Amino acid sequence: MSDSNNMTLNLKIWRQSTTKDKGQIVDYILEGVSPDMSFLEMIDMLNEQLVAKNDDPIAFDHDCREGICGMCSMMINGQAHGPEKATTTCQLHMRSFKDGDTIVIEPWRARAFPVLKDLMVDRSAFDRIIEAGGFVNVNTGNAGDANEILIPKEAADLAMDAAACIGCGACVASCKNASAMLFVSAKISQLALLPQGEVEADQRALSMVEKMDELGFGNCTNEAECEASCPKDISISNIARMNRGFLKAAITSKTK
Amino acid sequence: MSTEQQVKKLDGKVPKGDIKTLWENYKFDMKLVNPSNKRKFKVIVVGTGLAGASASATLAELGYEVEAFCISDSPRRAHSIAAQGGINAAKNYPNDGDSVWRLFYDTVKGGDFRAREANVYRLAQVSNNIIDQCAAQGVPFAREYGGTLSNRSFGGAQVSRTFYARGQTGQQLLLGAYSALMKESSKGKVKIHTRSEMVELVMVNGKARGIITRNIVTGEFAKHSADAVLLCTGGYGNVFFLSTNAMNSNGSAAWKAYKKGAYFANPCYTQIHPTCIPVHGENQSKLTLMSESLRNDGRVWAPKKQGDKRPANEIPEDERDYYLERVYPSFGNLAPRDVSSRQAKYRVDEGKGVGKTGVAVYLDFRDAIKRDGYEVIKDRYGNLFDMYQRITDENPYEVPMRIYPAVHYTMGGLWVDYNLMTGAKGCFALGEANFSDHGANRLGASALMQGLADGYFVIPYTLGNYLASEKPNEEKVTVDNPEFEQAMKEAKGRFSKLLSINGKRSVDSFHKALGHIMWENVGMGRTEKGLTSAIKEIQALRKEFWKDVKVTGSDSGINVELEKANRVADFIELGELMARDALARHESCGGHFREEMQTADGEAKRDDEKFCHVAAWEWTGDDGEPIRNIEELSFENVHLATRSYK
Amino acid sequence: MSSSTQSISHNYFLSSVVKKQIMAVTGLLLCGFLLGHLAGNTLIIISPDAFNQYGHALVSNKPLLYTAEAGLIVLFLVHLTMAAKLTVENNTARPEKYYIKQKTGRGSTFASSTMPYTGMIILIFLVTHLINFKYGTVYMTTINGVEMRDLYKTVMEFFAQPIGAAWYAFAMVAMAIHVSHGFWSAFHSIGIFHNRYTPLLRKAGIAYAILVGAGFASLALYGYIQGVQA
Repeated sequence: MSDSNNMTLNLKIWRQSTTKDKGQIVDYILEGVSPDMSFLEMIDMLNEQLVAKNDDPIAFDHDCREGICGMCSMMINGQAHGPEKATTTCQLHMRSFKDGDTIVIEPWRARAFPVLKDLMVDRSAFDRIIEAGGFVNVNTGNAGDANEILIPKEAADLAMDAAACIGCGACVASCKNASAMLFVSAKISQLALLPQGEVEADQRALSMVEKMDELGFGNCTNEAECEASCPKDISISNIARMNRGFLKAAITSKTK
Repeated sequence: MSTEQQVKKLDGKVPKGDIKTLWENYKFDMKLVNPSNKRKFKVIVVGTGLAGASASATLAELGYEVEAFCISDSPRRAHSIAAQGGINAAKNYPNDGDSVWRLFYDTVKGGDFRAREANVYRLAQVSNNIIDQCAAQGVPFAREYGGTLSNRSFGGAQVSRTFYARGQTGQQLLLGAYSALMKESSKGKVKIHTRSEMVELVMVNGKARGIITRNIVTGEFAKHSADAVLLCTGGYGNVFFLSTNAMNSNGSAAWKAYKKGAYFANPCYTQIHPTCIPVHGENQSKLTLMSESLRNDGRVWAPKKQGDKRPANEIPEDERDYYLERVYPSFGNLAPRDVSSRQAKYRVDEGKGVGKTGVAVYLDFRDAIKRDGYEVIKDRYGNLFDMYQRITDENPYEVPMRIYPAVHYTMGGLWVDYNLMTGAKGCFALGEANFSDHGANRLGASALMQGLADGYFVIPYTLGNYLASEKPNEEKVTVDNPEFEQAMKEAKGRFSKLLSINGKRSVDSFHKALGHIMWENVGMGRTEKGLTSAIKEIQALRKEFWKDVKVTGSDSGINVELEKANRVADFIELGELMARDALARHESCGGHFREEMQTADGEAKRDDEKFCHVAAWEWTGDDGEPIRNIEELSFENVHLATRSYK
Repeated sequence: MSSSTQSISHNYFLSSVVKKQIMAVTGLLLCGFLLGHLAGNTLIIISPDAFNQYGHALVSNKPLLYTAEAGLIVLFLVHLTMAAKLTVENNTARPEKYYIKQKTGRGSTFASSTMPYTGMIILIFLVTHLINFKYGTVYMTTINGVEMRDLYKTVMEFFAQPIGAAWYAFAMVAMAIHVSHGFWSAFHSIGIFHNRYTPLLRKAGIAYAILVGAGFASLALYGYIQGVQA
């Protein structure tokens, strides 16, 4: 908090007024940034100054600011969610930067994630993928006693590892092919690992992958940048599990 | 006085009978909607958190046409996602003496006898169905090696009834409900409107028949009609500016309903959670909660000496005051949230606070690490410790955590009857948005339970009963009814007004000012003097807001400042109502602590003679005084007693 | 799942996952071919006759030869077309590029990020390789009374030129880099992953890459040294 630690930053931020607008990088200088501030609080501070000057504040997605809702989504110096491992933008703190640093801030970029404004993108493609089969077909009231389904702890833990995905899209943003494989495979894996989801595992894998392709995401080249940028440390082993399940399903599928 | 004559005694519409069979019998007595008629009813659900997503999915499964609205880019972002600890259920899997009755009893007592018994009993009853349903959806609950579900004790409960999924239970339950919602969306039974904010409730012939929304991306307003409206919009903790709520959490939808005839119940009941990371500075935007499971192993203390500025590890054992263990020997560090929070405040008020700001106490794991070893503690709390370190840059394995209470949950909300219907006919409120089940204080791991109980297991029945009895679809209301145009005009007018003021102060500066007034006067300790002055200050702030707020940009396209301004305007009014409610409730109960009303040793002192009731406020116009209606509470099953955790 | 899945026919074999699996299987088969090819080539070091006899044996069995050649051509073409298709798709998946893009340093490697480029080098090499050797100068020799092509001479003549040997060695380094990622990646694409064995597989991929890369390149070096001495 002490003023002597405060930093001055050169910010280069992507500004784009609408999806159709061309957009450009705009330079800002921000003074008095405390190392204790979170990255988003730093943007808040800049916005407060922009509003004071009657400028349009920078639009960005954010909500819980505790790393779980998956709303925040910034490409910081060319890295999804910035330089720290397993950290969302909202949990990134300014102590990761130095006085005088230049920070480039861009939105996620992918054909399937059109920019809405400035740093906000439309990630509804992820909802479309889940809609294609990212669920267990069980209506309310159908369930038997929860302990009737026994699940080995190991499988439950692996399923939980995959289920930790927050749907932020950093995997797509960081992938050089803008592939959504990590996101898709995490959901397919979670449900395939559990007996509840196994029943529909084949059809789920087929439908979700098909939807992913249709939405214009790229292909996986097994580079693991997605895993490395994932704020929840989702493993690419989920992609392998999905590949295996998909192959089996594609060969044995009874639909045309 | 004329207002006193207008005070209503509200009827909670609890059916008569033995509490144990009430819900079962009532379900049988309710009218049903014929399966082929269900598709003729349209239901609007506002909010897609636990309550909204579970209600939308379940109603769609039953055959209703559902339209769900959320302000985020996806239903999955709702703030239910941030709940860490767990969800209670009376399964008694650990065989430690739990039962529906005990969960009911604990919840009524924990709520300091200010909840409606019948609702709480129903909640305890359906708690078990929730676990079954969520497990069937593939929610990866923690498991034992034998494959059965794992339970832990949580939030001071003396039985292990909490189910959990690591430290991300809320996330996993929400994703379960979200997946059910997406399942119905894929079948075309639910239409989901994302980035859509409800800005008006539309009443036609005395019934809620639709809403006006504003599209956050385009700025366009739209009319939506339906046969019933469900508000599942969460709590209003962001009145305080700094809270553990998400940045977009707001009270506006509930506030619109309040102005259209719904009552706002017990707005002063606010939960201040004891284990949050303290405020670091002026630019802080929100507070972060750490699961109170930390209190299972961490010991809470403050220095015995005032103004002791030594680093924590240099303060010798006999100069530390483990005050929760001292004051509450039987519950110790696991004393309920309201009690623990207040004790932390006392230490800070006594000048014994720690850290740079002096507004914090310690939560120390030194002894636990010594007893169980580093690995065990890391295994239990590793991700929480990492989170703490990421935010504070301090290593909790080596130095004690600094914690301080923060606003976390609002027990108050829209008044609802046993059917979850608000005072505005046809408008229902579910989850944190209603007031019903937690009384004056919510126990840990109960919020998730209530949100899902309302959505999965209560509203599907009670809504059917309403639709079958009222047959709103026979009235042929469409968006062409003049009431929709009128509501649209009002909403548009409000947004244009906000843009036209063109004053000097930013929206956030008003919000911060409001938060400051609220935290100082309507926070953990409330006095008549503080509350009276708070009401005046808030009224002045409201005037200033409408004179001097500065909202940049235009009404088309994305305008975050405009969105915020609309919500802050409502927060200011809501803040005033909270202060009024706190002032009128001349007793201490649960999260509401009136300093004038305490026992000799500083505990909350209820006044069951005068205040064993729900205060349900009624709006009388922008400049009128709201009316404090009441619903009497009777405790026939859990007898009124002084809550003691000593 | 969505109600439409029953009525629409699906071509799962053109999905992103299967395209990658086709890359993987063809790639692995080509890896197998490389190993066999390398084993045969080491006969150069043993003796010119052994090498020529091996070559002669291969071309004498016409049905086998044509089948093998056809198989190889199909493998290459499929691997190549899929690669081209995937690369084009991947490029269109992000029409607007980043102002700056930085690797995390925790994921992609030099090999993984240069697959299309090392692939192109291998393609060019393949063409020159066929021109230089299979369709290169034909010398004849007689061993044990059987007249056959003196492929040894063609090869050694080529390696004797510094440019020839250097190009060959360079292409082999590119190939080693290509397969160092391609090997384990292929297993991953067809769904073989294990916390214990995958790290071993990655090491095996590197070992394989070094073996074939160094193996082929050392033959070029051997040829060059022989040429200099001659």
